[in-house]
Amino acid sequence: MKGKKNAKAVSMLEDITIKIGGEAGSGVAIIGLAIARCLKDAGMHVFSENDYPSLIRGGHNTVSVRGSTQKIHSLCGKVNMLICLNKQTAVLHKDELEKGASVIFESNHQGESVNFAQDEKRKDVNYVPVPLLEFAQKEGNPIFTNSVAVGAALALLEADFEIAKKEMEKAFSRKGAEIVQKNISAAKAGYEFISKNFSKARLSIPIRKKLPSTILLNGNDAICLGALRAGCKFVAEYPMSPSSSVLHFMAAHEREFELVVKHTEDEICAVNMLCGAAFAGARCITATSGGGFSLMAEAIGMAGMAEQPIVIVEVQRAGPSTGLPTYTDQSDLQFALHISHGEFPRLMFCPGDVEECFYGMVDVLNWAEKLQMPAIVLSDKYLGEHLCTTPRFDMKKAKVQRGGRAGDKEMANAKNFKRYSLTKSGISEQCFPGQQNGMHVTSSYEHDETGFSCEEGKMRTAMMQKRAKKLEAMDREIIKPKIYGKKDAEFLIAAWGSTKGPVLEAQKLLEKEGISTKFMHIAWVSPFDSKTVLEELKKSKMHLICEGNSQGQMRALIMEKTGFYIKNALLRYDGRPFEADEIAREIRRLHK
Amino acid sequence: MTSSCFDSPHKPQWCPGCGNYSILLALKDALLQSKCKPEETVIVSGIGCSSKMPHFVKTYAFESLHGRSLPVASAIKLANNSLRVIAVSGDGDGYGIGMGHLVHAMRRNFDINYIVTDNQVYGLTTGQTSPTSPKGFKTKSTPFGVIEIPVNPMALAIASGATYAARGFAGDIKHLSSLIAGGLAHKGFSLIDVLQPCVTFNQLGTYQYYQKNCYKLEGTGHNPQDKVAAFTRSQEWGEKKIPIGLFYTEERPTYEDEIPHIQKKPLVKHGISNVNISKLLDELE
Repeated sequence: MKGKKNAKAVSMLEDITIKIGGEAGSGVAIIGLAIARCLKDAGMHVFSENDYPSLIRGGHNTVSVRGSTQKIHSLCGKVNMLICLNKQTAVLHKDELEKGASVIFESNHQGESVNFAQDEKRKDVNYVPVPLLEFAQKEGNPIFTNSVAVGAALALLEADFEIAKKEMEKAFSRKGAEIVQKNISAAKAGYEFISKNFSKARLSIPIRKKLPSTILLNGNDAICLGALRAGCKFVAEYPMSPSSSVLHFMAAHEREFELVVKHTEDEICAVNMLCGAAFAGARCITATSGGGFSLMAEAIGMAGMAEQPIVIVEVQRAGPSTGLPTYTDQSDLQFALHISHGEFPRLMFCPGDVEECFYGMVDVLNWAEKLQMPAIVLSDKYLGEHLCTTPRFDMKKAKVQRGGRAGDKEMANAKNFKRYSLTKSGISEQCFPGQQNGMHVTSSYEHDETGFSCEEGKMRTAMMQKRAKKLEAMDREIIKPKIYGKKDAEFLIAAWGSTKGPVLEAQKLLEKEGISTKFMHIAWVSPFDSKTVLEELKKSKMHLICEGNSQGQMRALIMEKTGFYIKNALLRYDGRPFEADEIAREIRRLHK
Repeated sequence: MTSSCFDSPHKPQWCPGCGNYSILLALKDALLQSKCKPEETVIVSGIGCSSKMPHFVKTYAFESLHGRSLPVASAIKLANNSLRVIAVSGDGDGYGIGMGHLVHAMRRNFDINYIVTDNQVYGLTTGQTSPTSPKGFKTKSTPFGVIEIPVNPMALAIASGATYAARGFAGDIKHLSSLIAGGLAHKGFSLIDVLQPCVTFNQLGTYQYYQKNCYKLEGTGHNPQDKVAAFTRSQEWGEKKIPIGLFYTEERPTYEDEIPHIQKKPLVKHGISNVNISKLLDELE
């Protein structure tokens, strides 16, 4: 290893955080992704999250990439390397820097050398000016600045240049050999410049073998992969941040996976289309965020009444109304749980991480079909867009299970088929247009067993009970809350959805200090496993719930379902995800 | 008209004299004429008096939400393009709350036949103004008369890219049935606007009024492939000046015809038991 020869090199960093900042459109996301992939190639576990305003140009964007030799679940700790695509970045984030951190910045902005005033600078970090633009222009285009920065960063990490080269080949291979070569040259210029001029600012990381069977992806992509694997054939969606990448992913793979992907005129059309597609027999999903989800309310009720399996992915952002379009929130829990008028059963799943996004989608699509009801997957911007290294998905654990569908042969001999027959489980067989002898009306109106509109009181009661009963057939194992940490710890942390990662990291911090905790993560909220949740709560003496809303919506749900009131709540609703530090701090305070 | 495979066990319950009775007869007749099979036909409706129609025709059917018949119908067609898909709803449903979907469905040119039973009034909610009510029309919601001008369904269809635009009259079942059959035979989106007397809430658009003032485009020398002529005809309305018949038609590929992978086999017939995503996972390693 090169770094070892260098007497001035900082000791090995087993855990490193690199932050990249600049204006929207300046390449922050591209550099972030490249560095995340390079760290992964260097054998590290990686977590990366972004922060950006709802703008296409301008504003201030950042990406933070954490690499670690241990499995990680969120960001944690201070910034070791800051890559500044503008001066503002260095100033804005100076207090986040670890002692001895390196700050790479553009040394020559529009022909003028960049200088920092005394109060804009930290004394205990290394400032590393690099003529990013100049090197890029040598390759013929300012766009290569990104690759210069990646090269410079890798040199500071004392990583082999091969890693940067491979990344450039991977990232630009679709654009042709010339573009690949120019990016490699640009990265090389950045790499060599650092190698020659900055031995003091090095932050060497342990370079190991690439982790076997490990993938790097975000929650939205994992949701798409899960949907594809689960046999989703129909997608109707209207773009809305931060869910739009689901539409982009599925549209890009429309031909390859023989899907129908429709960008509709609005979310009302999208969700009504799902009802039609499900009625015709296709597995289907849509994705949206709070605003579009609000528009879908009426048709979600229709899917409940007409017993159609449709899956809606809601990637939450901070509301109400337009709110903070590109910032995260967990404030739609109670809304989603009650969306649409009247009472009807629904499935609702809130994945905690990228892995749960994938396997959860398979479960959700399977069970929506088996139970013939709408299903809501409640994710959020943080989970949807953060990248995390994850064990490659296991196809043996992700299998299509079908249910409640009448076969063609069976229908050929069917007599008096009743689409909504009152069965013991509440689940009645669904047949599809094209099948013989199954003609019926499926309706948004209350109906009798044949589907014919019916407003008679007894039948109405029977149908309400039939639909409600279906939830009982759900697999009880799947809906169990998951327990992490010390099973018999006196201190229990409860959280749901994407708050999982920061809580797991907080547990690690506390464990080092000798504070053992138990963490109960709730992913399934409908059906809700009241029994297990209550049992777990009762086993501990102290409790804290962490959630990303101002009202403690999961706390209220737990109270409603179990009668147990969790006294302590750490609530965050500034549009930012939880930090492990703040959770650990709160637990320390309560633990005293 | 005689009994057929499309007879449902249920008897319609519209007001005596309602135009929907004749529209139902015309629809069933057109289905027979067009040799449709009940199990391969889907009728989608919205909400309103006429949206109860699917209950009285024996096919697969989806009685959806107010204004949403076309999104549901479009998806059924996309999921299974071997089906015959018909949508039926009223003027409030199609030209009011569902107007956005209508314009987009027409430009997409799904092979769907959309029948709008146009009685110029909201019947099921007891008689309020509708998007096709004439200016000055007095209803419960417009006691001093409607201020705005009505929607012109034929002009809208021609402008929005419908490839078959026709107007029928509930008082002429045979003519109406031929227009619906024409729509069924046409490959692409057909809008069939049907002048439908509402005997309870519309004292202006009566059988007598339409009988007196409608004339048939057939036999006038009107060329339905002439878009400009069709648009000119769509502007006619009033005393002896209400054209019925086929205003406009053109050939254009349907939306679903342009999706290559559903040409051999409808989407719902594709296997889903072991979808291989390993290539996508490889890229993420």
